[in-house]
Amino acid sequence: MTGPTSELVLFQVGARTFAAVVHDAVRIGSVRDVPADELVLETALGAPSARARGIVVASHDDAVERTLVVDQVLGTRSVPEEHVHPLPAFAAVCLTSGAVTGFVLLEGDPLLLVDLPTLVRERATEAIA
Amino acid sequence: MPEPKEAQQPESGAQPPAPEAWFFCLRLLGGRYAFEAPLVTEVVRLGPLTRLPAAPSFLPGVFTHRGEVLPVLDIAQLVGQGAVALRPSTRAAIVHCGPWKVAVVSDSVEGLVAIPRRQLEPPPAESSGVAEFLSAVARDKAGAVAVLDLPRLVETARARAVPAGSGPA
Repeated sequence: MTGPTSELVLFQVGARTFAAVVHDAVRIGSVRDVPADELVLETALGAPSARARGIVVASHDDAVERTLVVDQVLGTRSVPEEHVHPLPAFAAVCLTSGAVTGFVLLEGDPLLLVDLPTLVRERATEAIA
Repeated sequence: MPEPKEAQQPESGAQPPAPEAWFFCLRLLGGRYAFEAPLVTEVVRLGPLTRLPAAPSFLPGVFTHRGEVLPVLDIAQLVGQGAVALRPSTRAAIVHCGPWKVAVVSDSVEGLVAIPRRQLEPPPAESSGVAEFLSAVARDKAGAVAVLDLPRLVETARARAVPAGSGPA
């Protein structure tokens, strides 16, 4: 592979697969020993059914860590940057979540690219309200 | 782009032919709807749809066309009168409305029609459903056709969606 690439982590929530920038994931592990108030279960991506894995996500200012609960972490992929596309402008202004930022084309299929800190922050904001 | 199905022939006699307007016509909500033809750049088959989380119902998803990701607009959903059945064979008209590029889906695509401007009549004075977005009504050889103000419709769709960051907390 030549040219700049993006390092992505692929994960599943329910039946759907999503991608996120690896850098946004602090670590990946079991959710068994994580205090309940640090778990983020239901988000704009839906609710996990198996709740098997957790992706630890730091807030944008690194002040807080939360664990996004997912069904499965499929691994990481190195993807040419030309395969990463922003959300179409009309879709971007219509979505109620700012966490979906674009797409990555894997084998020609668009996979939703998720900003993990925004996803977790939105959930935290909803919980406070 | 489909060939015109309905093109007016120049009228014979002393009067000059009435200026025609070209519209792009599709079938939707059990009727014929049209919008200004220059807004349409292409008609494509939808292909596999990727659904978006946190999307309003009138935005059923996106699809890729020649490497570009395009949002799909379902007018029936926007006006609250059902939904277009989306299949890989469903055809979509790719339109440019100001800054927005969207793929409008319908039950079927009829193509271009030419309607003399003098045959365009004001829409009925209703302000609900799809009538809210009509700019004119007319009749051609295939029957009645309602002309949509597509830029206003797309802008209304955008305005009705709750933007990210200001959604219900």
